[in-house]
Amino acid sequence: MTRRQTFSIVVVAVVALTTGFLVAGQVKAQLLIPSNQVARYQALVRSVQDLEATNADARAKIAALRAQIDALETEAAGRSAATQALRNQVSDLRAHAGLTAMHGPGIEVRLANGVPGPDTGGQTGYLVNYQDVQDVVNLLFAQGAEGISVNGRRITPLTAYSGSAGQVIIDQGPPLSSPIKVTAVGDRNRMAAAIDDSSALPDIRARQVQFELHLTFVGSPDLSLPSYDSSLRIPHVSAS
Amino acid sequence: MSARPRLAPRRRTSGRAVSVWLIALLVALVATIQIRSEAEVERSLVGIDTTSLAFLIDDLHRANDSLLAESVDLAQRKATLESGGSGAADQVLSDEAKHLRAVEGLVPVHGPGVVIVIDAAGLKALDLQDALNNLAAGGAEAMAVNDRRVVAGVPIEQTGSGVAIDGVSIATPWTITTIGDATRIAEVADVMTQQLRADRRVRQASYRVEADVSIQAVISERPFVYAVGS
Repeated sequence: MTRRQTFSIVVVAVVALTTGFLVAGQVKAQLLIPSNQVARYQALVRSVQDLEATNADARAKIAALRAQIDALETEAAGRSAATQALRNQVSDLRAHAGLTAMHGPGIEVRLANGVPGPDTGGQTGYLVNYQDVQDVVNLLFAQGAEGISVNGRRITPLTAYSGSAGQVIIDQGPPLSSPIKVTAVGDRNRMAAAIDDSSALPDIRARQVQFELHLTFVGSPDLSLPSYDSSLRIPHVSAS
Repeated sequence: MSARPRLAPRRRTSGRAVSVWLIALLVALVATIQIRSEAEVERSLVGIDTTSLAFLIDDLHRANDSLLAESVDLAQRKATLESGGSGAADQVLSDEAKHLRAVEGLVPVHGPGVVIVIDAAGLKALDLQDALNNLAAGGAEAMAVNDRRVVAGVPIEQTGSGVAIDGVSIATPWTITTIGDATRIAEVADVMTQQLRADRRVRQASYRVEADVSIQAVISERPFVYAVGS
C-alpha cells in the first residue's frame, strides 16, 4: 500500500468517524428534553443510592455496638449475681422486642407482583404494597406468631409500614420490593390454616384474581429470624 | 507477465471496499452505542416517578437521622460499661429494662401526643389497623385504643360483634391515644380525620393535641412456646 492510499484511507476514516459523532450528536439533541429528565432522575436515584448505603452502614454499626454491649454485660454478669439477674430480665425483654435472633417452627409467606391488566391505565394493583405486608404480618401475629421478619428485617413492637406503589418501607430500613418473604416463627399449623383461609386477606385475594398477584406459603420445622438492627428510640415517651 | 498488471487494480479495489465497509461498520457502531446508552438509562427508570423518589429521599434522611441517634445512644452505653464496674452495668441494664418495657407496652407511659376520636358505624379491623399504622409511621411511639394498649403484634381482629383488640371487643366511638412527636402526629391526624369525615360510615372524626397524654393500659407479656433464642 502506497503512502497516498494509506493517507486517503485515514482521511476517509476520520471523515466517517466525524460523521458518526455528528449523527449521534444530532439524535441526542433531538432527545434533549428526555435527556434532561434522565439527568434529573439520575441525580435523584444517586441520592437514594447514597442514602441507602449510609443506611446499611448505620445498621451494621448498630448491630456491632449491640453485640459489643452484650459481651460487656456478659462479662459484668459473671462478676455479680445481681447483675446476672438483671441481665436475664433484659435478655427476655430483648427477645420480645426482636433484639435477639431466634429460630423455631413456622411458615414462610411469599408475596410477588402480578401482571398489569390490559385496561388498568395507571393502576398499581398488580404491585405488592406495604398494606399487603402489613395485613399478612398482622394476620400471622393474630394467629400466634412469636416473631416475624420481612425480607430479613425483624418486626418489633414499634414497627410501622409505609411506601408507595411497589415499594415497602419498614421502620428505618431502605425500601423493599417484590418478591417479599414474610417469615414467621410460631404455631405452624395455625398460621398456615389462617393464610390458606379464603376469607382472610380479602384485598390480596381479590388482586390475585384480577392481577395474578402471587401469595404462596410453605411450612418449615425450623426457620431463623435475625435480630433487629435499627432504632427502638421513643424519645417522647416517659414511664409513669 | 501480463497477469500482474490485470490483477493489481482488482486487489486495490477490493482493499478499498474492505476499508469502506470497516469504516461504515465503525460509524454504525459508534452511533448505535451513543443512542443505546440513552435508551438504557431511560429504560432503567421506568416505573419510578420523581415524586416517589423525593418522598423516598425524605424518608431515608429521617431514617438515617434516627439510626444515627440510636448509634450515639449505644456508643454511650458501651462507654459506660467499659468505664465502670458492676454498678455501671446494673445501671445500664436497669435503664434498658425500663426502656424496653415502655417499648413493649408493659408499663404505663405518658408524654406529649394527640388524641383522636372516631365515631362510626361499620368500620372494620382493617380500618383500625391502617389508622394505627399511619399514626405509628407518622411518629407515634405509644398508642392505645379505648384504653387497650396497642403495639405491633397485638391482634386486632374482626369478630361477629365488631372489632376486637387482643380478644376484647371495642365499642365505638374509638378514642385513639398517641404519644410521640405531637407536631408530626397532628399532621397525620389532620389528613386522617379529613378523609374519615368524607366516609359515609363516619359520624364524627376529630383530634386534639395535648402536652401530656397518659396511657395507663398495659400488655401482658406472653412467654414463647415455639421460638428459641439463636
